[in-house]
Amino acid sequence: MRLQRILAYTTAALLAAQVLIVLWGVITRKLLNAPATWTGEMASYLLIWIALLGAAYASSHQAHISIELLPQRLEPEKRRRLYRLIDSLVLLFALLVMVIGGGYYVYMTLMLGQRAPGLGIPKGLIYIVAPLAGLCIIYFKQKDIRHGRV
Amino acid sequence: MGAFEVTILILSFFSFLALGVPVAWGLGLSGMITVLLSMPPLIAVTTIAQRMVTGLDSFTLLAIPFFILAGALMNRGGLARRLIDFAKALVGAAPGGLAAVNVVAAMLFGAIAGSAAAAASAIGTIMTDRMEDEGYPRPFSAAVNITSATTGLIIPPSNILIVYSLAAGGVSIGALFVAGYVPGIITGLLLIIVAAIWSKRKGYPRGEAWHLPTIFKTGASAFPSLLLLVVVIGGIVKGYFTATEASAIAVAYCFGLALWYGELKMKDLPDVLAESVRTTAIVLLLVATSLALSWVMSYENLPQAITESLLGLSDNKVVLLLIINLTLLVVGVFMDMTPAVLIFTPIFLPIVTALGMDPIHFGIMMVLNLCIGLCTPPVGSVLFVGVGVARVRLSQVLRPLLPLFVVMIIALLLVTYIPALSMWLPGVFGY
Repeated sequence: MRLQRILAYTTAALLAAQVLIVLWGVITRKLLNAPATWTGEMASYLLIWIALLGAAYASSHQAHISIELLPQRLEPEKRRRLYRLIDSLVLLFALLVMVIGGGYYVYMTLMLGQRAPGLGIPKGLIYIVAPLAGLCIIYFKQKDIRHGRV
Repeated sequence: MGAFEVTILILSFFSFLALGVPVAWGLGLSGMITVLLSMPPLIAVTTIAQRMVTGLDSFTLLAIPFFILAGALMNRGGLARRLIDFAKALVGAAPGGLAAVNVVAAMLFGAIAGSAAAAASAIGTIMTDRMEDEGYPRPFSAAVNITSATTGLIIPPSNILIVYSLAAGGVSIGALFVAGYVPGIITGLLLIIVAAIWSKRKGYPRGEAWHLPTIFKTGASAFPSLLLLVVVIGGIVKGYFTATEASAIAVAYCFGLALWYGELKMKDLPDVLAESVRTTAIVLLLVATSLALSWVMSYENLPQAITESLLGLSDNKVVLLLIINLTLLVVGVFMDMTPAVLIFTPIFLPIVTALGMDPIHFGIMMVLNLCIGLCTPPVGSVLFVGVGVARVRLSQVLRPLLPLFVVMIIALLLVTYIPALSMWLPGVFGY
């Protein structure tokens, strides 16, 4: 469960950083009268990272909301098979959309040379979190599929 | 493009839901399947990924993790208990006193934390035991706690109203926040009345008599928490800062207060942060995949088709609003609030604005409507939290929930057909 803890600490640190960045934006605008231009943009990009890495973390805990009506009615062996199917579907989405689709989107924004207007960094570097989080989800889900959760 | 794709979209979504695929992934999967039918595969999956990441790239959405974090800090920091004590001094003497205390405390807590599940868990954990000590059955307490927790979604600040503002193409968050006060308080009062009648019939006891010094004492202790409301809402309404900045200030304020009360230790902080990230990520993944699915729907021209068929059905405003409300009630039963708002706002908003309804009024109506779905099985997130913290069975709470549902629907009808309830206060504040 090492990856799980890395994700928990990384996203927790990013969230704390995000609060401080937005507060810094308020301080520079209201108190110092010299508004920092990078804070809003930086905090929004951090949100994408927190959301997608956090989604991978939450999915390692089976924390995403689902309707448990059918699984709860099944006997353990059938439930295990149903969970395998569900985990395979999630894995499929992570692979096709997040890793392949997200990866191609990163490639396109890098090729087109899109840069963040305030920070000046290539946007592809921000969006790279989509394939990254996709890989984490694939890792967690293949583990669930192999061990067969009940 | 057309009926076939739309059928696949709806069928696949409900199949995933029924199987038990997490809602967020189900939304993304059915969106993916639908675009795969009408685009080359690589472009299809890239478009879904693009909609997900660019949808999250929003300064407005930042307020969501911040309000969640502020709520978690309040919960750990002892702010919830002080609010309950104050509410008890205020309304404990009424018939069904402790039930009324639960409603008022949930309104105050929900108003600060902006999340119904957080309110249900914070207030329910404390109140169910206290109410049982004084002779209230746990299922009744749980039912009151569950329904009253949703009022916090309408009383500002509210994360779901921020999501609505995004879906409605930038309706002023300040105006939405102010608009929520009257409908939220009306709903709370109606819940108190029903709980009081029920308690009187069943002979549940009253609390301690009204005692002015106690009100002042508990009021003073709850004052710093209540002051936060003034800072946050006042700051947003006066235009000193954005909703996002206000939410960051709320985090700093709750953090300071929790440290000052001595109930939060620095070593608890990583835990509180990680817990908030988890809650945040659950909501934001729903936002990302809902936005992707919503894009797929408009690519398939679904909103236009629904608008045309609804307006062809009737041009009577009263009837159309009734149809929209009934649809949303059904949607709310099967779908979580965030995707419901993100997916159905683009569909219904053009219809209601054509009928002359203000987007602010519609937002309040929609959220109030979907609040009912949060308290019903099979996907009621607040219901499950409330049942969980009260340690009762789902089947036990359904009976006491029924009369509370009835008044929630009455509140919804009032808000739907009396625009002034939502629009009067924003007008006073010059929106």
